[in-house]
Amino acid sequence: MEPAEVEFLAEKELVTIAAQFSLDRIHLIGGDLGPFNPGLPVEVPVWLAINLKQRQKCRLIPPEWMDVGKLEEIRDQERKEDTFTPMPSPYYMELTKLLLNYASDNIPRADEIRTLVKDTWDTRMAKLRLSADSFVRQQEVHAKVDNLTLMEINTTRTFLTQALDHMYKLRTNLQPGESSHSQDF
Amino acid sequence: IPATILPFPTKHTIKKENKYFCYYFYCGTFLEQIICPNIWDIRAICLSVQQKCVLTNKFYAGFCCQNGRLITAVSNNTVQIHTFPEGAPDGILTRFTMHVNHVTFSRDGTKVAAGSSDFMIKVVEVTDSSKQKTFRGHDAPVLSLSFDPKDIYLASASCDGSVRVWDIADQTCTTSWLLLQKCNDVINAKSICRLAWQPGTGKLLAVPVDKIVELFRRETWDSQFKLSDASITQPLNVVAWSPCGQFLAAGSVDGNIVVWNVETQQCIERMKHEKKYSICGLAWHPKYKQIAYTDTEGNLGLLENIGDAEKPNDKVASAVAKDYNDLFDGDDDDYLNGDAIEPPSSPKTADNEDDADDVVQPLGHVRRAVIDDDDNSLDIGLIKASSSLLEKEDDADDGVGGLSALPPTSTQQPFYDGPMPTPKQKPFQSGSTPVHLMHRFMVWNSVGIIRCYNDEQDNAIDIEFHDTSVHHATHLPNSLSHTMADLSTEAILLACESTEELASKLHCIHFGSWDANKEWTVDMPKDEEIEAICLGQGWAACATNALLVRVFTVGGVQKEIFSLPGPVVSMAGHGEQLMIVYHRGTGFDGDQCLGVQLMELGRKKKQILHGDPLPLTRRSYLVWVGFSAEGTPCYVDSEGIVRMLNRGLGNTWIPVCNTREHCKGKYDHYWVVGIHENPQQLRCIPCKGARFPPTLPRPAVAILSFKLPYCQVTTEKGQMEEQYWRSVVFHNHMDYLSKNGYEFDENAKNLAVKEQQELLMKLFALSCKLEREFRCVELADLMTQNVVNLAIKYASRSRRLNLAQRLSEMAVEKASELAAAQGDEEEEEDFRSRSSARYSSSATEWGRLPGRNVQQEQEMEDAEETDAYEEAEETPEIEQRMKWIHIPACVSSSQKDPVVPSANVLDTMSKYSKKTSSSSSRAVNKQNPPVIKPLTPKPKTKQVMFAVFLTWFQGGKNKKLNFTTKVTAQENTENRRPKTGFQMWLEENRANILTDNPDLNEAEVIKEGMSRFRMLTSEERMVWTEKARGGRVNDSAEDKKRKRPTAEEDEVKKNQEQKSEDTNVSKKSKPLDQSTNNRLSAFAFKQS
Repeated sequence: MEPAEVEFLAEKELVTIAAQFSLDRIHLIGGDLGPFNPGLPVEVPVWLAINLKQRQKCRLIPPEWMDVGKLEEIRDQERKEDTFTPMPSPYYMELTKLLLNYASDNIPRADEIRTLVKDTWDTRMAKLRLSADSFVRQQEVHAKVDNLTLMEINTTRTFLTQALDHMYKLRTNLQPGESSHSQDF
Repeated sequence: IPATILPFPTKHTIKKENKYFCYYFYCGTFLEQIICPNIWDIRAICLSVQQKCVLTNKFYAGFCCQNGRLITAVSNNTVQIHTFPEGAPDGILTRFTMHVNHVTFSRDGTKVAAGSSDFMIKVVEVTDSSKQKTFRGHDAPVLSLSFDPKDIYLASASCDGSVRVWDIADQTCTTSWLLLQKCNDVINAKSICRLAWQPGTGKLLAVPVDKIVELFRRETWDSQFKLSDASITQPLNVVAWSPCGQFLAAGSVDGNIVVWNVETQQCIERMKHEKKYSICGLAWHPKYKQIAYTDTEGNLGLLENIGDAEKPNDKVASAVAKDYNDLFDGDDDDYLNGDAIEPPSSPKTADNEDDADDVVQPLGHVRRAVIDDDDNSLDIGLIKASSSLLEKEDDADDGVGGLSALPPTSTQQPFYDGPMPTPKQKPFQSGSTPVHLMHRFMVWNSVGIIRCYNDEQDNAIDIEFHDTSVHHATHLPNSLSHTMADLSTEAILLACESTEELASKLHCIHFGSWDANKEWTVDMPKDEEIEAICLGQGWAACATNALLVRVFTVGGVQKEIFSLPGPVVSMAGHGEQLMIVYHRGTGFDGDQCLGVQLMELGRKKKQILHGDPLPLTRRSYLVWVGFSAEGTPCYVDSEGIVRMLNRGLGNTWIPVCNTREHCKGKYDHYWVVGIHENPQQLRCIPCKGARFPPTLPRPAVAILSFKLPYCQVTTEKGQMEEQYWRSVVFHNHMDYLSKNGYEFDENAKNLAVKEQQELLMKLFALSCKLEREFRCVELADLMTQNVVNLAIKYASRSRRLNLAQRLSEMAVEKASELAAAQGDEEEEEDFRSRSSARYSSSATEWGRLPGRNVQQEQEMEDAEETDAYEEAEETPEIEQRMKWIHIPACVSSSQKDPVVPSANVLDTMSKYSKKTSSSSSRAVNKQNPPVIKPLTPKPKTKQVMFAVFLTWFQGGKNKKLNFTTKVTAQENTENRRPKTGFQMWLEENRANILTDNPDLNEAEVIKEGMSRFRMLTSEERMVWTEKARGGRVNDSAEDKKRKRPTAEEDEVKKNQEQKSEDTNVSKKSKPLDQSTNNRLSAFAFKQS
């Protein structure tokens, strides 16, 4: 899975915007949206929010968790715990990136938010690598990893699975070799 | 000059218009700004324990200062030094383990004595805090201290009841008297017992002991004499010597101040605090015969011309106690800006201190002391808002509102304690935040937002439209410093107050103009200030302080001008409507007295509300005035009640929402920005801990729903009643719009009517269930004609004969009213001929009925009732009943030509019911056979109803016929029995029955007949049924229908067959429905 695909999935998430135009309810395959009243908050998918924002047709109202205080708490919690903590949104990274790229003027303290989310992300990635490492090192057959988001799984999936395959091959190759070796004796 | 001690409350403000008193005191855990109020030309002022603060235990401080140093004792148990008058911290002098109750300087200012609740007294050198002396001996918290003017002794009073004199040099207790009442803490002490040495020689020590002042002689330490006065009824708190040592003043806990001449021991002055607040500090002027005093409520007062021979002209300008400013400027930072309401009598002279008329005019803000533990301070407004709240609460307790009666009061004059006038609230623009804020909203309405920035870098106005298609966002320099603004879809209106050079201006940016000149400005005449502005469609208006309203066109042509009956509060415009709220008079006890004018400035200029009183919640003021998006006037008061004009009830005001109910916290508010009636939305901004939102971060709009304050809304009945009336109120605007020739959504109106009628029907059903038939009739009275018919049907189905009868009477009346209304238009047409033409089929059926005896019919019904009741009991919930009630309507109307006006309700109702019920009813059919039954007899019931009209017009037998109507209705609906067949059979066989049993009366004849009829085979009965119907209907559908009732007749005996029969019925009902529909559409066609 490409990161772009994950981002595409993330665009289905709903965010609140304050429309700057008037439009009746619109009926889409994915469901009805609207009605749009100027100045009133309405929930729309991210892709629409970004599109409207780019056309200056709306103001974004940042999601509740996109707040410096809350993110600091999350980051600290993430650093404190050894396991993964639940994230405020399953697409927190994608949403942060999308919304901050396109609507940073509507998000107070956008730069700090970017840093905080990046910090959290880094912490989690480090944990992920660490757990992958211990998983391989201890030659476990299964591991339980909760609270991972799709994007996070995506970063490690290809590499980890392939690596495990390789290692498996190596190991299986090694063993018959050994056994044959012993037979030789 | 000795230090004069003037205890103040620990946190408060002193403000005076002239230059001597523009200083603020803050004390508590922090000390922000200390500037000495130079009341006289003394160098020192001392603030000490204040009881109120002791009680709150939060800001607890002693205060004194001399020689450029200020000593404070604060709640962290330390005694701190500050520079004076700057107030910068200068180190900690000493520490205690408990609160410090009193600090005082020695005469030369080199030493400070502090007494604490940990029973200790310390005397510390100011310059070197390591040199301290500790005095142990008291067995309870130390209340007060006093340095001997010769610096040899220190006197102290304590809660243990003792007053001790200490030798400072060797730290021993020289003497001790047990004078006071014992108590365990300062809070519980009746008096703070501020004792004092006679200045100069220190020959006498004055100690307030309960209601007298006891004077002790130095060295001998025996009681010299006692001073008392009859006017003192409460314990004395504090004593103070005049600088000359001749006079002694004492203040009591109930606000009495008494001055004695110590030589003669005569009382020379008595004064009573008008609010009876406890006096906690007294200080003499070093030269003049004046006493300054403070009370525990934080007021500072001045007593003048002490002991003059002539009647003292005592200008006690104390206590603009809890000023009501805050009421209005929950938003207005009065104590920083100094726009407090001045007591009318206080001279604003900026005279020097020698001026005998100079009046100390403090403002009591003690209560603010309680509030700053709020951690979510957004801005000053927050503090203000909460403080005003606190004040209000207190006011509710003591009932003192507004300004105290301030006409100069002499000591003897009785005090006015009647209702206090409320200060008039100031004019405001709806949707604006307070003017003094650097960043503020000038207006936030349904069109857009105007923000004003007024800081060092920038003085500008930002205009933003919710709908960018109206106009793009604009940024204007605010060179004229506009303070008022309004915004509509065609213009921006701004106004500023006059300055010294410039007149007050009205500035309009008419962006909707098609020519190049989009702006115009109008200067007000000299000395006329604009106080409120508003925009309508094609016009702008402003109200000025000359009590004038000036109307302009949006292009700048001056139009109407008229006088207002009182000072304007606010105004609002919408379309042609202009609403002005003004002061009708003076309100009392915290209430405002407002009036409202509503006028239409269109072609037909007229006034709709002629200065009617505007109802407000008690002790509240107006915070928002405007129109709903549909043009109904609304307003909001400070208690969060939203009221709306109810045009349907003689232009009265109805509360539609209480925003405070939605608030989570006590200090949270909703800041209303707009009201929409369709859909019902109250748009507002939630403000946490404040009355209004800050500009940043940008606040988000929330939507509240409306709720009329009906009783018992937790019950189903109350809920529906509320819904019904809310729907009625919120659709009044449609009538208004249609009356005034505006376009409106016809569809929405129909929807509304449908909704209302549905609610009525539900209420009706509920009342039926509760056996409240009278109530049912009352409800039916509110229904439209078509729904009354449904109600009749419902009533008859639920076997409420009496009700059904009354309802049909009502229906007839309604019909006749309707007819009368129609008849006015088309007189020539005879109603009867019309109706009979239309309902000929029903008439034929009806024609047979009159010959029958009502009594008989009744009896027959009774006999049949038993099994019918079973059916009725089986019928489930009201909801389900409602569903099947709709079904006939659905069947009939779906085929009807939509142009039939009377079908409207049914049409719409059926649309609704189709979705909800028709599908489910099918499901219900199978499991619950009785439910399906109403499907088919529908046309009959209708006929019955029409027949009712007919009979009524036939006159004469009216009553009887109505009764039979009811009965047949019941027959039709409850029992699918071949009544007509039975009737015919009975007619023919009556003779037989009578010959068999000649002694039977009519009722028994019927009974007998019935039993006989039942004994007939189904075939025979069918023949009779056919006979009964044969003449009238020939189509196959009717055939089937005939079959069905007979089948059901069997059901009475053969329950086993029921299932198969019922399936038959449901199968057969389809073609039947169609045919019925055909007939009905034919009907409709005839009608139209």
